[in-house]
Amino acid sequence: MTAAGLRLRATAGSEWIKFRSVRSVPAALLATAVVVVVGGLLVTAGFRSGWSTMTASERATFDPTFQSLHGVELAQLFVGALGVLTVTGEYTSGLIRTTFAATPQRAQVLAVKGLILGGVVWVLCTVASFAAFFAGQVVLTAPARHASLGDPGVLRAVFGGGVYLLLIGLFGCGVGALLRRTAAALAALFGIVLVLPIAVALVPGVLGARLNEYLPSTAGMEFWTVVRTGGDALGAWPGLAVFALYVVATGVAALLLLRRRDV
Amino acid sequence: MSTINPSRRARAVLASEWIKLRSLRSMRASLAVTAVFSVALAVLVCSNWAASWSGLSAAQRAQFDPTDTSLNNLQVVAVFFAALGALMVTNEYGNGLIRSTFAATPQRGRVLAAKAVLFGVGCLIAATVITVAAFAAGQSVLGSRAPHAGLGDPGVLGHVMGGALYLTLAGLFGLFLGAVARGTAVTVSALFGVFLVLPILVNSLPKDALWRHTVPYLPSNLGVGLWHTHGQFFVGPWQAAAWLAGYVAVIAVVSTVLLRGRDT
Repeated sequence: MTAAGLRLRATAGSEWIKFRSVRSVPAALLATAVVVVVGGLLVTAGFRSGWSTMTASERATFDPTFQSLHGVELAQLFVGALGVLTVTGEYTSGLIRTTFAATPQRAQVLAVKGLILGGVVWVLCTVASFAAFFAGQVVLTAPARHASLGDPGVLRAVFGGGVYLLLIGLFGCGVGALLRRTAAALAALFGIVLVLPIAVALVPGVLGARLNEYLPSTAGMEFWTVVRTGGDALGAWPGLAVFALYVVATGVAALLLLRRRDV
Repeated sequence: MSTINPSRRARAVLASEWIKLRSLRSMRASLAVTAVFSVALAVLVCSNWAASWSGLSAAQRAQFDPTDTSLNNLQVVAVFFAALGALMVTNEYGNGLIRSTFAATPQRGRVLAAKAVLFGVGCLIAATVITVAAFAAGQSVLGSRAPHAGLGDPGVLGHVMGGALYLTLAGLFGLFLGAVARGTAVTVSALFGVFLVLPILVNSLPKDALWRHTVPYLPSNLGVGLWHTHGQFFVGPWQAAAWLAGYVAVIAVVSTVLLRGRDT
């Protein structure tokens, strides 16, 4: 094996140990999976119990897939925080100095961190998305409408729940590497993902709607939406592309800064 | 050795907490960002209403309320106050200072109470300034092109002050939750979940009997009851204030009990 290959394997090994040995990680992952399923159940049960009070147009635009995946919106808090902490935790404890002394290829360290976090989050959240989808469709008994995996766009949307959370986790890693402080990085991440869409939605008219569709989380959510009601929506794949672009840009900026900055 | 006079101890605890509060660099910066965000968003929202007013239908105009429009940024600003409150406590756990604090004052409940009093009073002042400024800025932008309100109009001052009360209670909610959870990441994530995400999930559900008996009692929706003038589904202001204060009191008791039984 070449020296570069050996180094990569050693970095992956040490990053994996760090990832799984932080006590809060299994707790956050468990919370993520629970929240995806429970959030979806809460929302679908609410629609099922209130179905008779809904108007005809509300019923026509009801998206059983999207609503059963709504727990993803809660879960992004845990996944995002996990992404941030994967990086900032090492700055807080000072371990980052040891890490970079052992592996001066800093970009490699960050990339491996992202890969490990991303892999675990993607597998777990995809499984949780499917569980939430099936649980939600069981809850949505007639007369409420429900969806099945064979319907157009549904399989993509259910996979979309896992992909969206994967990107949120990587976004958190990138923001964490840029800002290096837990509180600041969390505030920035949640500010962008949660606060901006609400703030922009308050602006009436075309300006608000136009701005909103290009925000990272709004664009990313398109990928797990099946029924689109408004005209101002990017659509599934363009939405995913816009969201991914934000994440990649943040990652590249983090990699570049990481190499120039002191630790 | 003589016993320490309790009032002297209380003064000492308050003084040390006050030094920590005012010397925390991030506190002042975060507060400034919050104020700028609130006023800027009020101006942005109101200027868009003013610009589009002439093209609006009668139904859209009937929906419009100038006070609500200038204050609706509070649904986001509340989470900033809550996060600031959380940092008051979790910062000290993060840098280890909490061990010195509790070594100096083993009466842990009193330390938490001192933090809450100082932060609560500071919050109330800052929140009043922010809500009045957001209201005034919003109304001046609405100006002549759209209907606007004044602080003297019936009910308006109550809702502006209701907004300030909401921000203060949100701050204390965060502070006590921080004392329960102790970690910055956990507390801040939970606060964003409670104040921002939960309402997104459940507010749009069909409004059946179950909804009407649960959803309006979420902290964020109680907040809406405090500052919003036309809340059809929301709890009235006095009741909302009582419920919110009740939530804060419950977490305060839980955190005090936990704090006394736990290692630092």
